[in-house]
Amino acid sequence: MLKLENLSKSYGKGEIKAVDNISLEVRPGEIFGFLGPNGAGKTTTIKMIVGLLRPDNGRIYLDNIDVWEDPLKAKSKISFVPDTPQVYDKLKGIEYLNFIADIYGIPADLRQERIEKYLDIFQLRHAIGDIIGSYSHGMRQKLVLISALINDPKLFILDEPMVGLDPKSSYNLKEIMREKCNEGKIVFFSTHVLEVAEKLCDRIAIINKGKIIALGTMDELRQHSKEKESLENIFLELTENE
Amino acid sequence: MNRIWALVKMDLRNSFRLSAFKEKIKNREDIVHIIIVIVALLSLLPTYYLLVSGLSNIYDIYLNIGQKSMFLLTGILLSQMIVLFFGILYVMSKYYFSSDLNILVPLPLRPKEIVGAKFVSLLVYEYITVLPILLPFIIIYGIKTDVNILYWLYSLATIFFVPIIPLCISSILVMFFMRYTNIGGRKDLLRTIGYIILIIVLIVFQLKLQSISQRAIVDEDFLYKLITDSTILVRSLGIVFPPSMWAALSLSNLSDISGLLYILLFVAVSILIFFIMLFLSDRVFFKGLIGNLEVSTSGKGAEVRLEDFQRSSLPYVAIAMKEIKMLIRTPVYLMNSIGGVIIVPIVMILPFFMGDQESINLLRNLLKNNQQLVNLIGVGFITLLGIVNNVCSTTFSREGKNMWIQRTLPIDPRDQIKGRILSSIIVQTVGIIVLYGSLAYLGALTLEGIFIIGILGILGSIPTGEIGMIVDAYRPLLHWDNPQRAMKQNLNVLISMGIGALYILGIGLLAYKLMDIINIFVIYIIIALIFILSSLILYRGLKKVIEMTLANLE
Ligand SMILES: Nc1ncnc2c1ncn2[C@@H]1O[C@H](COP(=O)(O)OP(=O)(O)OP(=O)(O)O)[C@@H](O)[C@H]1O
Ligand SMILES: [Mg+2]
Repeated sequence: MLKLENLSKSYGKGEIKAVDNISLEVRPGEIFGFLGPNGAGKTTTIKMIVGLLRPDNGRIYLDNIDVWEDPLKAKSKISFVPDTPQVYDKLKGIEYLNFIADIYGIPADLRQERIEKYLDIFQLRHAIGDIIGSYSHGMRQKLVLISALINDPKLFILDEPMVGLDPKSSYNLKEIMREKCNEGKIVFFSTHVLEVAEKLCDRIAIINKGKIIALGTMDELRQHSKEKESLENIFLELTENE
Repeated sequence: MNRIWALVKMDLRNSFRLSAFKEKIKNREDIVHIIIVIVALLSLLPTYYLLVSGLSNIYDIYLNIGQKSMFLLTGILLSQMIVLFFGILYVMSKYYFSSDLNILVPLPLRPKEIVGAKFVSLLVYEYITVLPILLPFIIIYGIKTDVNILYWLYSLATIFFVPIIPLCISSILVMFFMRYTNIGGRKDLLRTIGYIILIIVLIVFQLKLQSISQRAIVDEDFLYKLITDSTILVRSLGIVFPPSMWAALSLSNLSDISGLLYILLFVAVSILIFFIMLFLSDRVFFKGLIGNLEVSTSGKGAEVRLEDFQRSSLPYVAIAMKEIKMLIRTPVYLMNSIGGVIIVPIVMILPFFMGDQESINLLRNLLKNNQQLVNLIGVGFITLLGIVNNVCSTTFSREGKNMWIQRTLPIDPRDQIKGRILSSIIVQTVGIIVLYGSLAYLGALTLEGIFIIGILGILGSIPTGEIGMIVDAYRPLLHWDNPQRAMKQNLNVLISMGIGALYILGIGLLAYKLMDIINIFVIYIIIALIFILSSLILYRGLKKVIEMTLANLE
């Protein structure tokens, strides 16, 4: 279970709160969607979960491990895909994947099985012997996705993962996310594509100006809103009147 | 010219905003952080003070032989040579590997506008490099000699123009170098080998000139000339690099018109070479650049061997291998690290290599009779290379934008330390082998030497590497736009060198004091123990610093 408690973070001199007292829980087997306008605080929240930004206040627990108290233990259960696929561009694709697998301590046979599986799903096998510097944006995105899947994490956390993927890969990624949650893992991702969130997510949080303004299943969100149709309408209505 | 200026302003604003000097002050911890950095910088002072007070003695020596203008030549020549040699990597990185090229090249700018702007912003860095070297010379000469206001005016002009000619020469060399090595898939390797050869050729050329000019002055009435002509040495030895000579002559001929003429010559030639450089850049710059951003791919992709998947190694080995691969495949890193450990030991013996047979034999005998001293100096040298190779003192800075990977993976700080130290030791091994070669050439390599230098050298590289890594972990420079910023243009390198030099100086002094008292093998053991003990102590500190930094970066 992933639990955020009273999480806050401000940048710079502390005038603007990028994340303002957020609390939420995500249960195993759940796909959780994190929505909100640009600059709402999605990336900031995600960075705090994965250990890239120390929260000013509040705590984060993954299976009762405090992420900031015992980072090594927590990180070995987390895989993270950032919004920009920035990786070592002088390494070959396969070298990067092997590096990640070595760090997680994945045994050779298991890593081969997983790498081959995801290489085929994302159709990256042909480029795996090339230097990452020669990859297109989407290819890098796929490589980071595969590297995140090698570990078979408890928490799979992605920041706008669909950006830059071709339709087929995007579809495959959604399948994988569903597969992971069927295995009892937690999938937590931010997105601007409302249809994806609507179709895929078990629960959704909408964040605006650092605060969660709506949280629940699609049905629950509909009840909060006057226009009870699509997520798009709900989203626009909730984030507009500020 | 206007556009160059606009580019320069943008570049400088960018560089200095991202620069090492910028520290955010948010709370008490940040203030403590800044104080620690300042104290660390102060560690440079003892070594610097030692050097500067040595300079004062050199002045007196030249004064005694009536050639005090030589003192100025030494300072100016040293500054210009440093700009020339270090400039090569700065220029290569700034002109050819910086990230703003992706924006600049598509803009409707002429090559000379891009090069001009980059040149000027590099110049600013060169002033920062040159001032601490040149100022002591100028000030010591000015105080100890009876000078007038003209001296300080000429000095100002000298300081301002000192880096221009050498930086232009580096720029021209690099532009042609990149132009003619811009071929095929293996150009990174080609360029590194070319770089090492280029540096050695430049040094050999300098030494050749020097020996010719030395031979020229040692004739019969040399002593007579020495007494009657107070600038004879400068005019003879300055031939090595005439611009330095002009500046030195102008500063030492204040009373007559020749002083003015020499400074005008110096300034005019500087400006002329700058425009020649711009002119050439319009013709060659793009030819070396385009295709540079291209990366060779295998093409026949499907043939990835499955065995490649099966290799698995311990986390710290994986980190070390990743570091080494990145070092080897990034030309600027390779030239700084492995290039450095290859060039330095070779350059050390070059003067002997070029000298006549008689002096070589003399030196060989000298070394043979002082084998133990040779071994100790060899150990000190390798230990020092442990910092000069820059591998550890920039190891986190080099992560740059990829730092998120290190921070989100479950990597034990102990593995971080072991892996990164291991990568430095691999580089050091190359340096040790080259040093063996150099010593063998001088006939000073013994079996004992091989063991002592090899073992103690590697042991000593661990604490010096850790010192560098502590500094770099404490304040990694992650936002850089060209790879040289992470390497030599990184304040962490300087701080590490300051602390490391003190460390080595201390051990050296101890060894020197013990030499006459106890058996050399006991000294070897004592040094080994010091290395091991300090490694362990530094290791614990380093672990804390890494944990703290990886968690607290923003
Ligand atoms: N490094 C930073 N320094 C200062 N302020 C920042 C930094 N990163 C983000 N912010 C600020 O924090 C707020 C939240 O940013 P965040 O990146 O979390 O938004 P987001 O929801 O991910 O937006 P987007 O949909 O555009 O990705 C914004 O107001 C932004 O200006
Ligand atoms: Mg974002």
